Amino acid sequence: MFSLFKKEVQSYFYSPLAYVISALFLLIYSLSFIQWITSLTKLNLQFSFAAIFYDQFFYFIFLIPMLTMKTFAEERRSNTEVLLMSTPLNVFKIVMGKFLAIGVVFALIMTLTFVYPVITEIYGAVKWGGLACGYLGFFLWGMGCVAVGMLVSSFTENQIIAAIFGEAAMLILWFMDKFNDIEWMKNKPVWSSLIAALSPRERFEGFATGVFRLSDLVFYILFISVFLCWTMISVEKRRWSRG
Amino acid sequence: MIEIKNLTKQYGSITAVNNISFTANKNEILGFLGPNGAGKSTTMNMIVGYLPPTSGEILIDGMSMNDNPREVKKKIGYLPELPPLYLDMKVIEYLRFVAGIKEVPKSEREHQVARALSRLKITDMKKRVIKNLSKGYRQRVGFAQALIGDPQVLILDEPTVGLDPNQTMEVRNLINMLRKDHTIIFSSHILQEVSAVCDRIVIIDKGQIKAIDTKDKLTGASSEIVYVIKVEGVCADAEKALRCIDGIKNIMEINFLDEKTSEFKVELEDEEVRKAIVAKMTEEDFAIAEIRRISSSLEDVFASFTRGKSYSGLASSETDEDSK
Repeated sequence: MFSLFKKEVQSYFYSPLAYVISALFLLIYSLSFIQWITSLTKLNLQFSFAAIFYDQFFYFIFLIPMLTMKTFAEERRSNTEVLLMSTPLNVFKIVMGKFLAIGVVFALIMTLTFVYPVITEIYGAVKWGGLACGYLGFFLWGMGCVAVGMLVSSFTENQIIAAIFGEAAMLILWFMDKFNDIEWMKNKPVWSSLIAALSPRERFEGFATGVFRLSDLVFYILFISVFLCWTMISVEKRRWSRG
Repeated sequence: MIEIKNLTKQYGSITAVNNISFTANKNEILGFLGPNGAGKSTTMNMIVGYLPPTSGEILIDGMSMNDNPREVKKKIGYLPELPPLYLDMKVIEYLRFVAGIKEVPKSEREHQVARALSRLKITDMKKRVIKNLSKGYRQRVGFAQALIGDPQVLILDEPTVGLDPNQTMEVRNLINMLRKDHTIIFSSHILQEVSAVCDRIVIIDKGQIKAIDTKDKLTGASSEIVYVIKVEGVCADAEKALRCIDGIKNIMEINFLDEKTSEFKVELEDEEVRKAIVAKMTEEDFAIAEIRRISSSLEDVFASFTRGKSYSGLASSETDEDSK
């Protein structure tokens, strides 16, 4: 499994993909940061990384399908799925190898943003505890989105389709709890509480504001596990129904 | 070594492979011969464990794919029809990666990669990125991949497609070299290749096995007496003369060589008729340049099994007419 993991990580750096995504992400992050710095006044000399994270995620969530679109779609297209399936690797190892590889790329991109708290620390003070919590939440939700993106990629052999449907899935995840604001949903308490419970954004707010709750951690881990298992089933199912 | 029992694969209502059984013995080369869409690739995909069979059993070295996929897969090297390459990788990186996923022990990896490179004569290419290689080289990288892990069983799906004649010869030589310690299943459209390399031949059509035997037995199976006669003289007249002879069952093929000579492929009732032909033709003032008996070629056997027509020459001309 380590070989597959290593190859997957490398594959992001063979092409400009990982570089372009990290550059784009850093650009957006920098703009957010600058915006907060320039809006500081003598009366208010505070700004919150949590707020930046929160803004940031809305942009970042749309970059995730770019990372995940190729995972299975490309293997199928270039016929290398046969190679993976005819070696001693099983579906669990294939899915986990790919998932962890994207996790590493994702963590690398996140590490790059670390330069901003460091700059802030040089000219002021940073609340490191809250920041760590924010990073953890960002990473967990990001990996949840990666798991969803991988599932979408396992449905198709076209990377573009995988990206488009991935974006759609991300939108739904982001705006899920907004459905509860619709008038029609107001008198359906069961449905609205269900949606509220499943919405990953509500959970992220806790992390972003520096509140660490075990229930939120468990939620994200379950969320990731469910989508990874579904991906494994989907990959396995393709083998049986292929024709 | 490889035992296939009642293997069936259905895609929805389409039966791609229908209840086939055969075995390949240790260190034997089994040729898989069949027209496009006959089920060759599907069968191979099932043997290597990529496609699960609808029913039936595959035993490799006495072990079933269902019970112990990991151990069974380690014994198999597979070269699919399209070589499974990661185009962005360098040749050497790719082969190291394959060694990794095939669980080759770390200490042996470099040795195995180097050996596969040298066997396929691509050591010079090892630093090249695969997408910049020509089709022939890509095919060889795919073949090198199949050799990694030192599998006892090699499944090669049309390994010589896209290679130039020299490369084809090299691949055939390589297969001959590997036959000492490998069991090989090898599919091809190219009949000469199968007859040159394989110990036994499986002819498959529409998902069913039409024949399994050695080349000699397959070609010797037909009891027809076929002669080729080269005649000097006007072709049309010679044909008329031949048609008057009693013992000729059938004139199967007429080849017009040049203005003066033509070649007839005829089926005779028995050996004695040959003398009658020579006598009759001499009497009619035709010179016989050559007369020889031919055994039916593998092409003929193949055509007869897969199209139900007896000889390729006739069969192909009939299909031409059909298409008009």
